[in-house]
Amino acid sequence: MTTWRRHPVLAETRVLIGAGILLSIVAVAALAPIIAPHDPNHQDLLRMLVPPFWKDGADADFPLGTDGLGRCVLSRLIYGARVAVIVGTVVPIGTALLGGIIALVAGYCGGWVDWSVSRTVDIWMSFPPVVLSLVLMVGLSPGLRNVILATILVDWTRFCRITRGAILGLMKLDYVSSARIAGATHVQVMLKDLLPGIFPIIITLFSVEIGIAVIVESVLSFVGVSVEPHIPTWGVMIADGLVTVFAEPWGLVLPMMAIILTVLGANMLGDGLRLSLDPRLASRPSLEV
Amino acid sequence: MFSDAGTAPLNARNGVVPLRIRRVLRPIVATGYRVATVAIQLLIVSIVVFGILRILPADPLAMMLPPNATNEDAERMREAFGLNRSIPEQYAIWLGHTLQGDLGSSIQSRLPVGQLILTALPMTLELVFCGLVLGVFAGFCFGLITFTWRGTAVEKAAEVVASLAQSIPEFLWGILLILTFGLALHWLPFIGPIDAKMLVPSRTGFLLIDTLLAGRWDAFFSRLTHLTLPSIAIMMIKAPLIMRLLRSSLVETYTEDYIDSARLRGVGEMRILFRHALRNAALPTVTLIGVQAAHTFGGTLLIEAIYSLPGLGNLMIGAIRTHDLPLIQGITLTYCAVVLLLNMLVDLTYLWLNPRLRAT
Repeated sequence: MTTWRRHPVLAETRVLIGAGILLSIVAVAALAPIIAPHDPNHQDLLRMLVPPFWKDGADADFPLGTDGLGRCVLSRLIYGARVAVIVGTVVPIGTALLGGIIALVAGYCGGWVDWSVSRTVDIWMSFPPVVLSLVLMVGLSPGLRNVILATILVDWTRFCRITRGAILGLMKLDYVSSARIAGATHVQVMLKDLLPGIFPIIITLFSVEIGIAVIVESVLSFVGVSVEPHIPTWGVMIADGLVTVFAEPWGLVLPMMAIILTVLGANMLGDGLRLSLDPRLASRPSLEV
Repeated sequence: MFSDAGTAPLNARNGVVPLRIRRVLRPIVATGYRVATVAIQLLIVSIVVFGILRILPADPLAMMLPPNATNEDAERMREAFGLNRSIPEQYAIWLGHTLQGDLGSSIQSRLPVGQLILTALPMTLELVFCGLVLGVFAGFCFGLITFTWRGTAVEKAAEVVASLAQSIPEFLWGILLILTFGLALHWLPFIGPIDAKMLVPSRTGFLLIDTLLAGRWDAFFSRLTHLTLPSIAIMMIKAPLIMRLLRSSLVETYTEDYIDSARLRGVGEMRILFRHALRNAALPTVTLIGVQAAHTFGGTLLIEAIYSLPGLGNLMIGAIRTHDLPLIQGITLTYCAVVLLLNMLVDLTYLWLNPRLRAT
């Protein structure tokens, strides 16, 4: 094994493949204006539903063909990656912060704080996630910021519940009470003693949340309550592609593959990190993801 | 799940109530406690839904008024729907009506919300039921297979397939199945709940039952074929979860002494697996199935939209697109009520199934 893979995290092949997939998508999104051959919203009504390059009747101008309005599928895929990358980065950070902090305070304080947080999570979880995010998007108006907000408001409970369980486990250990006896303040105990203990779980949940965020965004796009109509997303491409599926299925299949690839990358990263960071979880299958 | 909720009020009374009565009372009190919890949860859920839809900036009138409507028209309409009152007042009125079984009328179709929901609900329940049956069946089969061949290439292959199946969200499975078995191979139909030419009188709302009641075998099979693809889409997500949990509980159960003692008594391996191990290992899996039933119920929206099934999810998506607030409220509450009730049933079933919880 080469030197750079000595670290247990880097020795896990799944981490490398998962991170590789996700980083390539980030690169595509960042370079979108340079690598996209067309404006993703430019309609060429004379060249509608052109098939991709490996089929008969393809057009050299449109390597992956065009959709029902004559828009370049490749360019829309590339620009669609931007929404996926933004959502897939900001939502996990938001859920980790919101869910993590609430769990930390609830688990540490215990008593009525913990009780009320747990009941709130119970109530929140009685909403099916898709239903709650749709209702939130009706209340908020369409737009990237609101999609992110709605997804965070739906998904923080998953973070909160699992992290709280882990903190309750840590609180039973002697080193937490020793830290208090040694004179550490509440905030110091939370940040210096508890946070490092739950870090592996947070990292794992974070990477799984990447995939979930991308799926939720595509679901909202599919229903038509996500971002403004002029921003291309993979979910909108799927909804458009479903309408023209009888004429040209590739406009539907390609954005689906993009979503599946992203989720696969996120899940591989999450699995690999779980196995390499937390040996206690290694033998147990995860039910939450 | 159950212990901290159901036992606390009973333990406090341990010294007063005699043991014999306590044994009888315990499940009744625990059940009552759960029912009360669900009622309170539903009340809070209704406040949350009402709050989200009324406080956030969405004007339902904007969708209904013609473009040439004057401000007076808007005001009159606002009054007609009670939208000019304060939000707590609106909630109180709405709650009063809801408790009497009146969920209001849809703004778009003017039909009663309760009637719309009751017509759509059987379609969704039928889909969830069939999806879960397939998922549980496949999950148990693969759980047993991977357990029997644990540590071999079979387990590894099944694990890879399971991870892959789970990486694809349900609605994408739905589309993939349409593309392969519907469009490419022409094996199965994928539009609508049943063949459009087959008219069956609606008695229960459940098409599988209605077709049988009408004695129409052709319609029954048409319904089955229309249900197959969406049910498989649900199965693809649920089976891996059940497979993994069953396998790991089996592994755990096989470390117990009674497995060894059965083996020493000369019981065959097959009998040990099915009569001794599976019965004990199935308990956590049964709980998981209940929880997954609730998840599945809340996750069929896009599947219904993709397969044009007139269920609750499709109704919801239509209501969302037209900002039909009374309908959205009613459907959301129905979703939450069913999820809470299913969770309650899981808890109670667990209590009755698990002798360790029952005996104390």
